[in-house]
Amino acid sequence: MLSPERLALPDYEYLAQRHVLTYMEDAVCQLLENKEDISQYGIARFFTEYFNSVCQGTHILFREFSFIQATPHNRASFLRAFWRCFRTVGKNGDLLTMREYHCLLQLLCPDFPLELTQKAARIVLMDDAMDCLMSFSDFLFAFQIQFYYSEFLESVAAIYQDLLAGKNPNTVIVPTSSSGQHRQRPALGEASTLEGVEASLFYQCLENLCDRHKYSCPPPALVKEVLSNVQRLTFYGFLVALSKHHGINQALGALPDKGDLMHDPAMDEELERLLAQVPGLVNSATANPEAGCLPSRTPPRVGSPWRPLHHARKVDAESDGSTEETDESET
Amino acid sequence: MIPGKYRSVSGRAANNVNCGLHLVIQTSSLPEKSKVEFKLNKETPSFSGRLLQHDLERNYSSRQGDGRVISPSPRNKSSCISSTTNVTELCGLEMKTTMSSLSAFGDSSIQTPSKSRIRQGCHSAGPNVSGDHINLASSSMPSFPILQRSSEEKILYSDRLTLERQKLTVCPIIDGEEHLRLLNFQHNFITRIQNISNLQRLIFLDLYDNQIEEISGLSTLRSLRVLLLGKNRIKKISNLENLKSLDVLDLHGNQITKIENVSHLCDLRVLNLARNLLSHVDNLNGLDSLTELNLRHNQITFVRDVDNLPCLQRLFLSFNNISTFESVCCLADSSSLSDITFDGNPIAQESWYKHTILQNMMQLRQLDMKRVTEEERRMASIVAKKEEEKKRESHKQSLLKEKKRLTINNVARKWDLQQHRIPNIAPNQDRKVSDSPQDPSQLHGSTVSAFPEETGSLDSGLTSALQGLSVTDTHLVEVDGDTLSLYGSGALESLDRNWSVQTAGMVTTVSFTFIEFDEIVQVLPKLKIKFPNSLHLKFKETNLVMLQQFNALAQLRHVDQLTIDPQGNPVVNFTLWKYYVLFRLSHFSMQKINGTEVTQNDMIMAERLFGILAHVASSELPQYRLISILGDARKKQFRYLLETKGKKPGLVNEENSDSKRLVGENTNRATLNYTTRDFYNERLEEIKEKKKFCKMYMEDLVKEATEINMKNEALQKLWPQMFIELVRDAVIEIRNKSSYMKLCLQQITDQK
Repeated sequence: MLSPERLALPDYEYLAQRHVLTYMEDAVCQLLENKEDISQYGIARFFTEYFNSVCQGTHILFREFSFIQATPHNRASFLRAFWRCFRTVGKNGDLLTMREYHCLLQLLCPDFPLELTQKAARIVLMDDAMDCLMSFSDFLFAFQIQFYYSEFLESVAAIYQDLLAGKNPNTVIVPTSSSGQHRQRPALGEASTLEGVEASLFYQCLENLCDRHKYSCPPPALVKEVLSNVQRLTFYGFLVALSKHHGINQALGALPDKGDLMHDPAMDEELERLLAQVPGLVNSATANPEAGCLPSRTPPRVGSPWRPLHHARKVDAESDGSTEETDESET
Repeated sequence: MIPGKYRSVSGRAANNVNCGLHLVIQTSSLPEKSKVEFKLNKETPSFSGRLLQHDLERNYSSRQGDGRVISPSPRNKSSCISSTTNVTELCGLEMKTTMSSLSAFGDSSIQTPSKSRIRQGCHSAGPNVSGDHINLASSSMPSFPILQRSSEEKILYSDRLTLERQKLTVCPIIDGEEHLRLLNFQHNFITRIQNISNLQRLIFLDLYDNQIEEISGLSTLRSLRVLLLGKNRIKKISNLENLKSLDVLDLHGNQITKIENVSHLCDLRVLNLARNLLSHVDNLNGLDSLTELNLRHNQITFVRDVDNLPCLQRLFLSFNNISTFESVCCLADSSSLSDITFDGNPIAQESWYKHTILQNMMQLRQLDMKRVTEEERRMASIVAKKEEEKKRESHKQSLLKEKKRLTINNVARKWDLQQHRIPNIAPNQDRKVSDSPQDPSQLHGSTVSAFPEETGSLDSGLTSALQGLSVTDTHLVEVDGDTLSLYGSGALESLDRNWSVQTAGMVTTVSFTFIEFDEIVQVLPKLKIKFPNSLHLKFKETNLVMLQQFNALAQLRHVDQLTIDPQGNPVVNFTLWKYYVLFRLSHFSMQKINGTEVTQNDMIMAERLFGILAHVASSELPQYRLISILGDARKKQFRYLLETKGKKPGLVNEENSDSKRLVGENTNRATLNYTTRDFYNERLEEIKEKKKFCKMYMEDLVKEATEINMKNEALQKLWPQMFIELVRDAVIEIRNKSSYMKLCLQQITDQK
């Protein structure tokens, strides 16, 4: 309560900016909704539980999407919950389609919009072949960027389009939801002989954006780091780089590092306990308690042949910016 | 005469004769001929052998017995002549000269033996021609022998001539025998009928067992009444135009493929076409006197025109290829037919054979040589009635089936429209059908495309009868054994119906087709109560797209099997759907999913994949949320119960405890439930309203709080200064002690 910013703002704005109001409103709303049940065990108890669960990040489970995306904390909590609940799916080695991931998301949030899942899949699949299979980690990290920074990415897309069109982005940035604009492969049909935009110019615009942006943005230093490696890059190249950047992941704080993604000893322990309870399977469950003894599934089916190729392409796009499409786009 | 001998022969005859030729010459029309007599005075040693040969064809069917044959032994004793009669029958010719009509046909020979003048027979009677008697000399014509008989022979047998087994290859020229009435060429090698055109009084011509390939040379024999051409090589019936008096025509054992050129034979009474190559029977017009038609041992598949034979009494169709009654149905229209045989045909093997024949041919007196009894007739009519009923039933069935098919088709079309699968063509088609219900081809055409294999059997009358239905029906409910099938969302209303306890108890499989899953979810509580034994659920075209939709099934009592057809259920394309079902519905311990047995490994896998989700859902959810979510589920169950409370108060309690048990069974996954899209949106609206209210409320609250806070802060800021000022004022006031005292005292006194 005594942070210095507090003095810079009127109380109400401060509370609003810190989303305290959101939670207070929601708490009252929840109270209203379940007033019979809650009145049985005390309103003080309810508020305690409510704010505890907010702290633990369990308050977003099975809530409506409008609430889940309402605050950065909620988003991070949702990402974490998703990871924790479906880590086992990834561990099992299943490659799933965008729709199936969407279904998993809907298990946690019944009205989760398909559009967001599609966008996340587009990051993984580089905007093509939307019904391809994706690995859990690829999807999760892409989804993290898309979900957590969705407003920021909208603005970035607008900037990117403007840069491609050769406009001066600083004058025209309107962070509206211009979804759909960025869906066209930018390189096609544009006057530029090179794919994408120049990284340094792009960064300037983004820095500008981060300063003014009221929604959460990735730390500018890290954005700079991402952009400093390359000369030119495309929009999706940028998003892929963002999603792969472990610093950004750390800054976001919802998910563990990629290497530890499948690692959650507490939950594994819990799972073993649950498996032991599977009716009629006590023996077999205790016989092979190791998680490593999973019945072997047919791993990568369609995915495996093209997957490495695809990654290679991404790397190409990142590293030198020049592409195989150079020759065809002379106008 | 040697009666004994003949008796024995006649005994044979009784066995052998049965049919072939049954000739009655009406002497009334031929008075002068009736004087002809012959004596059976010459026995040939080869008699029996020949008999067998000659009657080969008849022997075949001798087993059949023949009611018409005179029972021989008692009668033979009485009369020699009757024996003779029988002997003549042996050779296939029963020549009876009956003055009377045909009325007592079968027995006439016995009843009026005295009247009958039976004349020769072919072989046994008559002169045995031999070299002694007959001089076959080569004439001036190189190739034809000329026959001349001695004068005493001529006198003795003036009207008949027998030339059998003479190894003749051609017909000899017969001179000076113009009054011959009977000519016999049996068992020769004659290839062509020749040199007999001068015998214009000939009545009887026997060419049995020769090598004749064509009927010819007969055009002048206008008196001919009996023509025997059995066992030759004739391929075609022809050149009979002038034989208008023909009474008996025997063509058995030839190679005839077609009945033709006989329509002018209006006096013909016996026609034998057995052992030919006929494939069918027709062209029988004009044979107005035909009473017996023998068609055994052909390849006949169908019979026509028989109803145009006004006198036909006996028809022998044994050993042909008739397999349906329809192919011989014209027989039913013949009023004269009294005796028929079908043995040796495929049709005779059928179970319906006898009663169908009897039912359709009431006039029949004998079938396959057995007398038709009243009892059999009665049986036949009963069976036929049953058959009719069965037919009607099956017609009704097929009608229902067709109705069902059309309805399903219609529902499917509606569903497709609803799912926007068919863009622009479908509505057009739909409109056309509903606009022009009297255009069957349109409807028919549209159904053909969907179910090509079924429409073939459909007659157009049926279609037209069904049209109205297909247009109006939008749903279909069907109970077939233990399966309840629901097509179209309207069918869900049927769950409100009062199902009989028996039906409801029997139904173990419920299948949903063309129904939105969200709509099904709403009736699941009803399903649970109305069909408590349902164990197997089938979904096809129900728009199952999300894993969470399976949550809704958890509220059922028990599910053993689940079948989700990939058609119209995209969720089945997911890798994880089966495991999710197993996980979420683990309290049912399901046996089969989509027909595949559930294994232990599947169960473990399901738990591994989703166990944590359940754990997180149950252990990490704040208590108030847990209560509210579980409460929702419970409330949902109560909602329906409240609706039906009035009717079954007892059930509510049971259900109540049931739902509690159910919830208790898997609390950790009861939090995973499914609310249908509509209901969920409703709830979101509700939440929005509440949120709006809360927002305003909080805004006011916070504003008030911040205002208070601001005032407080302002006060805090001012307070030190204020305090100092206050103190200063007080100090100034008491600085002059004496005057202050005075003032105080003054105030006290003033108060009093």
